[in-house]
Amino acid sequence: MPNRVKLTVSHAPFWHDGDSVCKMNLTIILAAMPAVIFGIVQFGIPALGVILLAVSCSMFFELMMNFATKRSLSIGDFDAALIGLLFGMMLPATTPWWVVVTGVFVAIVIGKQIYGGLGANPFNPVLIGVAILMVSWPGYFDFDGALLNYEFSHEALAPLAALKHQGVAAVDFFSTTQLLMGQQTGAIGSTFGLGLIIGGIFLILRGCIKWEITIAYIAGIIITALIFNLSDSGTYAGPMFHLFAGYTLFGAIFLATENSSSPVNTIPMLIYGFLGGLMVILIRNLGVYPDGTVFAILIINLINPLIDYIRPKALGRGVNNA
Amino acid sequence: MIKRPFIGLFQPKLKYDLLEADPKEPEVVPVPSNILLLLNDSLDSSKITFIKKGDQVKKGEKLFLYKESTEHVISSVSGVIKRVESYAGEFGNIKTSIVIGNENNDDFVNDFKEHADKFELDAAAKFLKLLPGAPPLEILADPAHKIHTLVISGVDEDISSTVRQYFLTTESADLKEGIQILKKLTQIPKIILTVPEGISVDTEISGMQVFNISPVYPDALPKMIMKNQLSTIVPQGKTCEDMGVCFISSEAVVSIAKAYRDKSIHFEKIVCVTGKDGVRKRMKVLIGTPVISILKQLNIHTNENDRIVIGGPFNGFSTFTVYHPVGPCMDSIIVQDSGSIPYVSDSACINCGKCIKICPANIPVNLLVRQLAANLFEDAEEKFDLEACIECGLCSYVCTAKIPIFQYIRLGKHELLKIKAEVETEGANA
Ligand code: SF4
Ligand code: SF4
Repeated sequence: MPNRVKLTVSHAPFWHDGDSVCKMNLTIILAAMPAVIFGIVQFGIPALGVILLAVSCSMFFELMMNFATKRSLSIGDFDAALIGLLFGMMLPATTPWWVVVTGVFVAIVIGKQIYGGLGANPFNPVLIGVAILMVSWPGYFDFDGALLNYEFSHEALAPLAALKHQGVAAVDFFSTTQLLMGQQTGAIGSTFGLGLIIGGIFLILRGCIKWEITIAYIAGIIITALIFNLSDSGTYAGPMFHLFAGYTLFGAIFLATENSSSPVNTIPMLIYGFLGGLMVILIRNLGVYPDGTVFAILIINLINPLIDYIRPKALGRGVNNA
Repeated sequence: MIKRPFIGLFQPKLKYDLLEADPKEPEVVPVPSNILLLLNDSLDSSKITFIKKGDQVKKGEKLFLYKESTEHVISSVSGVIKRVESYAGEFGNIKTSIVIGNENNDDFVNDFKEHADKFELDAAAKFLKLLPGAPPLEILADPAHKIHTLVISGVDEDISSTVRQYFLTTESADLKEGIQILKKLTQIPKIILTVPEGISVDTEISGMQVFNISPVYPDALPKMIMKNQLSTIVPQGKTCEDMGVCFISSEAVVSIAKAYRDKSIHFEKIVCVTGKDGVRKRMKVLIGTPVISILKQLNIHTNENDRIVIGGPFNGFSTFTVYHPVGPCMDSIIVQDSGSIPYVSDSACINCGKCIKICPANIPVNLLVRQLAANLFEDAEEKFDLEACIECGLCSYVCTAKIPIFQYIRLGKHELLKIKAEVETEGANA
């Protein structure tokens, strides 16, 4: 027969909604920008340095691991860049370079690649990196010490540390507006509450993060903090303080929603988020760490496979043959 | 192609095409010089075929590959057989293609004529099952199925077609007549007509129910109609027919009416063709016409690496040749430019959960796809509900990682069938 054009043969469906891992990650990176830019303005060139170092090292380690494990190159999906960015955002601006490099190495290699890369990590890689640093060199996460040389116009105290060490009286140093507008001492990307909220709403509307988790997480924070506060307001701070201080919002929007380590069914997502919020307050109010976000989310990562078993029955499953 | 909306929190709504207000007569594609028929039977080099190159065939003649074959095709032209070749279908399913050179004479074998006054289901199943629209008469005639409900589909199952709606609205008189004939043939008490919401029809038959179907994909798929309208959940691994419900397209019903009225069968099929620019057109073509003849008529050029989809964007398949023929149940053809073909990737599931949100059958797609990728078909079925899938294809459509999930699922079901068959034969041999 004449006219033998070679056609593309592939499988249904022949349409796709156009989304991709790369687009999703770029959208999340974009959503993080208000908080990042604010952090750089607030903390200056050192903050920029930390962020850039974290992102570039992250992509470099990812590439090295791609070669080492002979998998196809995956830096193009920007997942490594996102991990680096989020990691950098959780550090104080003065973190020494070797701490950044070590943390990113742990995040990418131990947090992600060892399990088989994208989608296979049971824990949030960023948090694995941060947790190791927190345990190994806790001094660098003492924001007050780390940022001693800065001249701030606002009260130069990290709110949660102040709460831990000085008790509830410290809460009065910070008004909710101040916290929202980033008038607090803390990590590069976690102080600008308003920026984080804008980014979060953007991501929820775009459908890039699981909104159920974010909402339930915030509900968990508010409800648990309120219960503590009502039971003894002389010892425990109120919910609004907890919501806007430290890593809370950052955790609710960017950390707890990490795809691979979180559930996909509605009820499990709600339980997962709520437990996360609950754990944060428990650790803050009863534990030794001023901020419980890192360990709280690692704990819910751990129970994720268990709760994600709660799912609706599939169509036609368990129906008797009528 | 319908893309994801910017506000992606809400599910994309995939609307079916609705028939335009004043549908025009479809454009007729002239009968080509060669037609091609696909026979569901495979060539066996050790046997001598019943039909061969050079044989003279008449229009309406049944063609069998071997004397003892049960599958046949009906020639839609009279002429000479030019080629009998193997043709690769899906999943290694080998068919046979028969090319017939059209001699444009009026020789016509009409075996059906003498049965046209008798209204017997067996005869209808024997002569009319390859009419345009492919009426499922064999299923209706098979007492094993115990069909108690007949659903006349006035809704198109996939997005890119309006063929059934066209017959529903423009040929309502024939449709009514066809339904009466079916009632007489099958004695099935319960008859239902499905109509897209927003389209009004005047097909009233006493005792017949009319269901309005929402115009959002996949609500017109048979299993969704079973669930939403008939409140019958088809158990995992069963078909609608197993539940006593049989679906027949409006085109098939109209074809039956015409066959009994004219006392002969006809071969004109209506097909909805979507060009590269997304413009859709209904065409009237002879069964057996190669796709390329239709595209030529419409001035659609195909280049290297373009894709031709037979059937809709979700349930169709892509053909490797522009000579793929129009068959009795082929409602649409989509031509996609090589540049606009969405690619699939080999990346792993990132657990984003979009598939879970969209799956109408509540399947844990994210877990299922991991099992299927690892070839664990039995686990996929037992723990992750492989067989509950109603094959809508939406999970692949939304997958962020662009995993060809739907292909995995179809392959998985195919493999599972093989495993089950093996277990049964082993059991029988033991
Ligand atoms: S094709 Fe996908 S979305 Fe559709 S029923 Fe099957 S698993 Fe669910
Ligand atoms: S949509 Fe794709 S990537 Fe997302 S959970 Fe489902 S299978 Fe995984």
